[in-house]
Amino acid sequence: MPLLSTQLIDHLDNSLQGKGSAETDELIQADPETALEWQHLRLAVDTIQDVGLFEQVESVKAVWKAQQADDAKPAGASIRTLYRNVMRVAACLLVIAGGAGVFKYSTTSSTGLYNKYYLSYTLNANRGAAAPNAIDAAYDQKNWTAVLSLFAVSPEKNNKSYFLAGMADLELKKYDDAVGKFEQVLAANLQSGDNYFQDEAEFYLAMTCLARNDVNEAIPLIGKIKANKNHLFHETVGKMSSLDLRIAQYRNSK
Amino acid sequence: MKAAEKFTDAGLVAAIGDPALLNKAILFLYQQYSASTCSFIMSYGASEQDAEDVFQETVLSFIEIVKKGKYRGDASIKTFLVSIARNIWLNEVKKKERAGFREMQYEKGRDPHEADISDHISDLEKKRQLRELLYKLGEPCRKLLMLYYYDSLSMREILEHLPYENEQVVRNKKYKCLQQLTEYIKENPAVAYQINESIK
Repeated sequence: MPLLSTQLIDHLDNSLQGKGSAETDELIQADPETALEWQHLRLAVDTIQDVGLFEQVESVKAVWKAQQADDAKPAGASIRTLYRNVMRVAACLLVIAGGAGVFKYSTTSSTGLYNKYYLSYTLNANRGAAAPNAIDAAYDQKNWTAVLSLFAVSPEKNNKSYFLAGMADLELKKYDDAVGKFEQVLAANLQSGDNYFQDEAEFYLAMTCLARNDVNEAIPLIGKIKANKNHLFHETVGKMSSLDLRIAQYRNSK
Repeated sequence: MKAAEKFTDAGLVAAIGDPALLNKAILFLYQQYSASTCSFIMSYGASEQDAEDVFQETVLSFIEIVKKGKYRGDASIKTFLVSIARNIWLNEVKKKERAGFREMQYEKGRDPHEADISDHISDLEKKRQLRELLYKLGEPCRKLLMLYYYDSLSMREILEHLPYENEQVVRNKKYKCLQQLTEYIKENPAVAYQINESIK
């Protein structure tokens, strides 16, 4: 009898912890269909581990690059030659370039990126429900506390209300609360297979992560939006410099 | 530049196997070997960006080879990295269908130990496709699977990072996410074909 998918996953998890059972291995090998499923699961886990390593290497590479930028200093030797004046000019240019690098490093921060790229969200009549409700009205009036109060007592919460409440949290700088609500939208879509307010939640979750200096969480989201040309915020995110993000990440890790 | 931890070849191999030292090992690889390896690749026609990408894949491949115990140490790490980088670039050149004579130049210069890594390198394109599938899953699933299978966190520890009610909810979500990723893999014709062939 073929093993259930969940049984295979349990066996895989146990095997990764060195607790695999030889009996289950035999059952897997005895049934070609189960063996195929097992191979797919193994490949899925290999993929996750590969992506983990890929992101870790990228992160360290960013640190290395930031260190290089940090150390971009003009040569100190004083050379007295016929070309002294030329060298002085070159040295000045190097100082300016080095200074620009240092300035870039010292002025680039997670919250700075948030302030630079944050867009206030305006409700689109076409995007919302057919009949505007009290939360929409409070949101349109930028009455953030009212949005949150109405959301709290709302009997029927959906992705839109979670998103608007998350935006209200964000406007009130209640970042942890905002993250929870945006993640709820993403989790609900994941479960239902819908995309209702998916793009909005992804972008503003990334923004919230930047606002609370959590660049490590923001970078994968931003990368995902950059990779998707159909994403509502693709153009906005496309303006973000990867170097700026990596500098902010490095500064946060210090 | 801030002084990095110095490693001997043996020390570096050991550090790669230790999760607590892996970041230091990667930083050392970049500080020590990035410039020379990139120069080498650029001398064969790669742009600076190409060379940088090749070196990143080189580091990934080297770490995986070491973790699988396939680095035997009969060539120095510097030589080994250059061999990996050359293989990766050769594959890139093939993929982009660049001038055939360049490939012949590479083939002539191949070192004997390159055969050890060629199988690994040939999987790179497949890996790139698979990475895309994980991103396609969406952030909540990607994060959950990474926390469990890469960071090796327990269900209880994952609860501290993600907004789920209890460990059972996390466990159920993990099942679904992994099953979804497996479905994506099955739908990827090239990958599915390779697996089907491998178990025949």
